[in-house]
Amino acid sequence: MLDVTSCGKIASSMKALWLLPVLCSAAFALEFDAAQRQLKKYCVACHSDANPVGGFKLSVVATQESFSTQSRRWTSLANRVRNFEMPPKGAPAPALEEREEITKWIDSSLHQAACATGPGAGPSPIRRLNRDEYAATIRDLLDIHLDLAKFLPIDGGGGEGFDNAAETLSLSPLHTEKYLDAAKFIMDYASREYKSRMKIFTAPAASKILANFLPRAFRRPVSLAEQKPYEELYAIARKQGQTHEEAIFFTLRAVLVSPMFLFRAEAPNYTGAERPVDQHALASRISYFLWGSMPDELLTDLAATGRLSDPEVLQQITKRMLRSDRSLSFAVRFTDQWLHIRELNGEKAPDAKLFPEYAKDEELSGDIRNQPSLYFRELLVRNRPVLDLIDSTHTVGSSNLEKHFGLKLPLDPGRRKQPQWTELPKDSNRGGVLGMPAVLAVSSYPYRTSPVLRGAWVLEAILGTPPPPPPPNVPSLEEPQPGHAKTIRERLARHRENPTCAGCHSRIDGIGFALDNYDAIGRWRKEDAGKPIDASGELNDGTKMTGPDGLKQVLLNRKDLFVRHLTAKMLGYALGRGLTLKDSCTVDAIAAEVKQNGYSMHSLVSGIVLSQPFRMQSPTPGKETVKR
Amino acid sequence: MISRRTLLRGAGCSLGLPWLEAMAATPGAKPPVRMAFLYMPNGVNVANWFPKEKGRNFDLPKTLTPLAPLKDQITVFSNLWNANSKGGDGHYVKEAAILTCQTIRKTQGTDMANGVSVDQFAAKTVKNETPLPSLELGVTPVAIGVDAVVGYTRVYGSHIAWSDPATPLARELNPRSVFERLYRAASGQQADAAKLDTLLLDRVLGDAKRLRAQLGVADQIRIDEYLSLMRQLEERVKRASAGQQRTWKARAPIDMKDAPADRPSDHAEHCRLMLDMMALAFQTDTTRVSTLMFGNSVSNVSFRWLEGVSAGHHDVSHHQNEADKLRQYQLINEWHVGQFAYLLNRLKSMQEGESTVLDNSMVLFASALCDGNKHDPHKLPLVLGGCGGGRIDSGQHLVYGEDSPLSNLYVSMLDAFGAPVERFADSTGPAAGVLKG
Repeated sequence: MLDVTSCGKIASSMKALWLLPVLCSAAFALEFDAAQRQLKKYCVACHSDANPVGGFKLSVVATQESFSTQSRRWTSLANRVRNFEMPPKGAPAPALEEREEITKWIDSSLHQAACATGPGAGPSPIRRLNRDEYAATIRDLLDIHLDLAKFLPIDGGGGEGFDNAAETLSLSPLHTEKYLDAAKFIMDYASREYKSRMKIFTAPAASKILANFLPRAFRRPVSLAEQKPYEELYAIARKQGQTHEEAIFFTLRAVLVSPMFLFRAEAPNYTGAERPVDQHALASRISYFLWGSMPDELLTDLAATGRLSDPEVLQQITKRMLRSDRSLSFAVRFTDQWLHIRELNGEKAPDAKLFPEYAKDEELSGDIRNQPSLYFRELLVRNRPVLDLIDSTHTVGSSNLEKHFGLKLPLDPGRRKQPQWTELPKDSNRGGVLGMPAVLAVSSYPYRTSPVLRGAWVLEAILGTPPPPPPPNVPSLEEPQPGHAKTIRERLARHRENPTCAGCHSRIDGIGFALDNYDAIGRWRKEDAGKPIDASGELNDGTKMTGPDGLKQVLLNRKDLFVRHLTAKMLGYALGRGLTLKDSCTVDAIAAEVKQNGYSMHSLVSGIVLSQPFRMQSPTPGKETVKR
Repeated sequence: MISRRTLLRGAGCSLGLPWLEAMAATPGAKPPVRMAFLYMPNGVNVANWFPKEKGRNFDLPKTLTPLAPLKDQITVFSNLWNANSKGGDGHYVKEAAILTCQTIRKTQGTDMANGVSVDQFAAKTVKNETPLPSLELGVTPVAIGVDAVVGYTRVYGSHIAWSDPATPLARELNPRSVFERLYRAASGQQADAAKLDTLLLDRVLGDAKRLRAQLGVADQIRIDEYLSLMRQLEERVKRASAGQQRTWKARAPIDMKDAPADRPSDHAEHCRLMLDMMALAFQTDTTRVSTLMFGNSVSNVSFRWLEGVSAGHHDVSHHQNEADKLRQYQLINEWHVGQFAYLLNRLKSMQEGESTVLDNSMVLFASALCDGNKHDPHKLPLVLGGCGGGRIDSGQHLVYGEDSPLSNLYVSMLDAFGAPVERFADSTGPAAGVLKG
């Protein structure tokens, strides 16, 4: 059973956890037998062996061993309890605290069981290049700058919430049609571009041209047998009367529609054991992680000579890649999805009538949207601590942002308009992502701020502890009701008096209040609708805080939770898939290393690059194991 | 003398096309039947949606008033529900299943599972008859990421058309791109160019087979998907070549000068342009199946531009029975119905022979929730526009027994479309009274 000393370690590794001290004193008192009794109490009426509703017998999860053998069952059980789906409406149900005690016990038990045998590589499924990766790969393959994004449908996201998750990158008829069209468009354009032509016409003969182009397009060595059909295609085109050049561009169109270009696939591993992934596949893994594009010549050379998998080399190459301009794509895609900044271009776009300064001033709104990702990139390049994301003495500023903040920033006089790394004045309230207008806008409604949205945003994006969904038929929290309290704060206080609401809102609201000095586009305000702002908030453990600085201190007190969450997010992005239970052991290990290395950004990124799932390949299941 | 057209105009579909068809000079020249779905997120203000009277003599409730001039060409439904969408969360489970009538699997992505949607079922039966098998449209981008609170990938909430249980169909958002796509599909290619494209696709199909052989079983599934879609594309390229084998003919010309703007100025214009594209696709017969989503699941698109509304769509739908929110909710609903009416009127203005495109279409306007405040998939708000080639007995308010399957309506619609099935998902038969005779 668990003792209190191991509690911290396990607790810090769990996802759905908010208050470690409370948890360790109370929740971890829950022992196997006691937990089983709880489950029996609420579940056995419908899930007995004799009459298992939905085919689920409680007895299959009755042993300690079941955490290894029935992990999917346990995960789904915990999720359904967490989300108030079980016990069903009308049946006796545990109170929120009891509910969470059970789910936390399940989470930690699952984690323990999965990590008992150490970390593992996990799956590395085939994946289609997503829209951004496709565009960047074309750019690097042909040295061409084209706006290709509008050609292709926008990809959805999965896994840890990113649009590079292999599992959700499905294919539609629309895609295939667009790939065919885009290939023609791209090659027509390339045929007129000097730089692209230099990339293509590396030799006089078609066979030599293809021998140079195909391995770059497919990101691996290409055999003569694989090249031959392309030579034939070229020959047919010639026979149809095309010139040498026309026939080359036509043949290369086919290359761009080939699945070998459009997909990243790794040769299966039938050795029955984990092994280092193929060097060229590793080059692609790291290149799509840090550059969102194909490997460059150096990576390809290192792979070809078998040196890339050397941890020393990987570490060096990681630093070099982060310094390159191309790492901007990683910063933008990772930050904007992690912090939900992309929604500013959609549903969360500030209301144009209420905030004309945002809607009309494209320079300002551009600087606002770009600030989080540019800042993230500066932290990467400068190897700052990841904790700078919570609070920092510096930010990325520009003359437009300076005005928006109502501050004076020591901007480079020669390029005041250009967003740049800059020092913040003392007490600026702008350090870290929580002082950024983009974050403050995306955690508001387009037309007003909401402490609830802001609180929930911080819980999810910063700490990785999203609140459970509101139970059905909850009363409205924020809207004024005739004859009732008028301010949002008063209304929320009233609702926290209701025990059904208090469970979650006592975690959410206080955080949101602390940010109330920022309006819906992140400007500092001292009053709202004529009333002075009260930025004090309290958390469910009684912690009191005031204003953004108070909140940041609270978050820094929970920095292990934040670091673990950031690690999980970035690992999910790097692997391009949802994390498994096994991966949570990898996350623990990386997070611990990051802590030892002064929380440096590089230690996080290289921790990921050197991790088992990133460098290794699991055995590929045979036919028998895959069938469902 | 009363012309046939006048008669028709006065009587909607209720006098109908079988009669017309009997009078038609060329029997075999029957216009094709089209099927479309317009999806509105977040349910309706119930008080102003369902007519009080059943049958033919019903008054349109406030929200449906934009349909007044079309009253005899619409069918309003009460008491249909989507049983398989009842559990799970308040939105994704409902909205992803509106056309599949299946229960989606709870996942952040690894093992997505829904069903085949009714539109795709129909599209498969006519895929060789038109340049495009179907047209999926939207006005807001795919919602990004996963909903960490409820544990579903937002891919579910952003797609209603599913070609197989794990494959949501990507939607086109830019009206200009849709137009260009329709234009290209309708005009076809020169025989030479088509031949080259075919050669090219042959080549990549070869690569796909080679790649497939090198992969593990799980990865092969993705390549199978690719193979099947590329083969379809190859077929389409062949059929669309301007050579002799092209049997398809546009039923109306598409003129490049009618191309819409690249970037619509606002949400309302964006919706209009997409509906125009759907109408154009149907008029030209570039496709016979289409879906449009007015928003994603849990859409909180701001409707403050609409007079009298001060908040976002999802917010307003959680009205808590407050009078002011209910009023705004109704306004948003009515605006959507206005868009529906706009499409129906467009289709009605498109003459084909003695009938109109609307006479030969079925456009179902649907939300996956009844009362947004309750996340309730009972008694869904559903209105069918058009006469389905004269098969639909329109001009009625059909009231079923409580909790009758929505899938029964799909069985009837598939029948009118010319793709009859015995069962669709949890259907128990056709929905009584929808089809004539």
